Amino acid sequence: MNHSFEVDGVEYQLWLSRCRENYRLCLHDRVIAPIALSDCGDGRGVVTIASESRPVRFAIDGETVHVHMSGETRSLHYRDPLRTLATSKLEISQAVARAPMPGVVVVTRVSSGQSVCAGMALMSIESMKLETVIRSPQDGIVERVHFKEGESFEQDAVLVTLIEERS
Amino acid sequence: MQDLPFDTVLIANRGEIAVRIIKTLRKLGLRAAIAYHDIDAGTLAVTMADAAIAIDGRTPIAAYLDIPQIIAAARQANAGALHPGYGFLSESAEFARAVTSAGITFIGPSPQSIELMGDKIRARNFVQRHGFPVAPCAIEDDDPATFVCRARAMGPPLLVKPSAAGGGKGMQIVRDIGLLEDAIAQARSEAQRYFADGRLYVERYIEHPRHIEVQVLGDAFGNVTHLFERECSIQRRFQKVIEEAPAPRLSSALRQRICDTAVGIARAANYQGAGTVEFILGGEEFHFLEMNTRLQVEHPVTEMITGVDLVAEQIHIAAGHPLRLAQSDIVPRGHAIEARLCAEAPERGYAPTTGRVLVLDYPDGDGIRVDSGLSRGQRITTAFDPLLAKIIVHSPTRIKAAQKAHRAMREFVLLGCATNASFLARILADDKFLHGQIHTGYLEEHPHIAAGEPLANLSDFLAIGALLTGPVRESADAVSDLHAALGNWRN
Repeated sequence: MNHSFEVDGVEYQLWLSRCRENYRLCLHDRVIAPIALSDCGDGRGVVTIASESRPVRFAIDGETVHVHMSGETRSLHYRDPLRTLATSKLEISQAVARAPMPGVVVVTRVSSGQSVCAGMALMSIESMKLETVIRSPQDGIVERVHFKEGESFEQDAVLVTLIEERS
Repeated sequence: MQDLPFDTVLIANRGEIAVRIIKTLRKLGLRAAIAYHDIDAGTLAVTMADAAIAIDGRTPIAAYLDIPQIIAAARQANAGALHPGYGFLSESAEFARAVTSAGITFIGPSPQSIELMGDKIRARNFVQRHGFPVAPCAIEDDDPATFVCRARAMGPPLLVKPSAAGGGKGMQIVRDIGLLEDAIAQARSEAQRYFADGRLYVERYIEHPRHIEVQVLGDAFGNVTHLFERECSIQRRFQKVIEEAPAPRLSSALRQRICDTAVGIARAANYQGAGTVEFILGGEEFHFLEMNTRLQVEHPVTEMITGVDLVAEQIHIAAGHPLRLAQSDIVPRGHAIEARLCAEAPERGYAPTTGRVLVLDYPDGDGIRVDSGLSRGQRITTAFDPLLAKIIVHSPTRIKAAQKAHRAMREFVLLGCATNASFLARILADDKFLHGQIHTGYLEEHPHIAAGEPLANLSDFLAIGALLTGPVRESADAVSDLHAALGNWRN
């Protein structure tokens, strides 16, 4: 079965299979085997890839695996195939305005129940000391404003949820 | 240390600099109290302090800028002195005055010195009047009607700056004189937004300038010494990224002239405490940029090459004692480099990053110092400046220091929040950097350093991700069980 990880904004498909007592990693263009990871506890481990062993530091946070190896750090986000489907279904009937980067709400321009049209300002946010206006992606009714003025949010957070206007 | 007229010091700051100050207070046998906003509860500085007093505000930053609350916290802690750190209220004359009026010793210069140097134009005119070098300049306030004309007459390249500026905000470089008016309009709107003060001035811009600054100490008896220079030319958007001491490729005669000028300016200003005189250097020519009337972020590189604890000297001076270091006592040794670890992604236009500290390993070894306010479990938000920690190294030579700093950056592990660690390592291994070919436009001239390169061993990272992700491993194991079962059945 194919699995998917996002690293630095790019998605990678892969799958894992057993290879005697170890594993085999199948990427779209090659196969790496055998691979093994021994967990030494407290986020320390030793990874063995094609008979070369290296120490790694790792932390698992929900569906994200953070890894430090050979002086580099990366976060690998697991994309659950079922979850991805459910989210995309939800967003068909509900439009959302997401945060392009982490920041703080400066001012909210709309409240729930209000009709908005595409391009209308929903709120102003401040990030990296710059003010940005978050605009409505489509026509609709504001279902919920998720953050109050002065509250901070992370990147990709849903700021405003809209529902389609019934005619 | 001589007797001090206080036994408790309130730190009106947070993060790595609060931890740094606590370490010296402990060494001197002083009690450390800290004023903190709830968002910082449980951070290293708050847990290390002997007393912690909560302050609040509309935003966390507002709390750290609230003068009456901070003075009340100092009173509550029975603090006889207050250290402002850097940023926040450290360069507010109003704050220094309020602290002093409350009968508390302000560990910093007099309110008059802060006022003099806090206004860039006033500081520039003061320095010029005393015969020290300043850049040719057109000041709007001198005659607003002819400001653009006077600026245009200077000819490009020009640098448009807000009068009330700090931290490089609102600055615009003009190379095409036709764009001068646009640059003025943009600088004015930014200055208005950041400082609520739209006044500007225009300076002759030096191409490929270097930022050289001199650490000075002055006392109440008119003594001023310098602790040599720091080079802070590796900057992004006018903000320092890597600093070092001594400055590379500087003749001893030029070094002497720059340090003597800094001492002359501090002496003319009757400066008391630790301060930094900043210069722009182009070729052999240098001119005054500004004076910072506080401890600098990059002060550790000076401490590493001189062996002087600058916070201890600040306290000693604030207590009214004369300087205990003569100029001849200060002998620089070896080379020090500091790298600023920040919660930001240089690869994505230096966008801020957030998260939680899940794993934290500091590099260690001889000549490696880490100034950090981090602890495991801490949440990293965008509420404050992105600076998380500073990695400072000391070695006999610049090349050895760069190699040691490079290794330290690669050994530094912070999992749970993306940082600029790889970016810092890329600078420290860059050929131009290693040859000392640096100027404040270095990062813009070499954009590949911020952009980074695709990971050569990405598949190894994917392998680890796959092995540590339950559903991926489970689906592999399920297939294996089936094969194993088939195998058994056949036998």
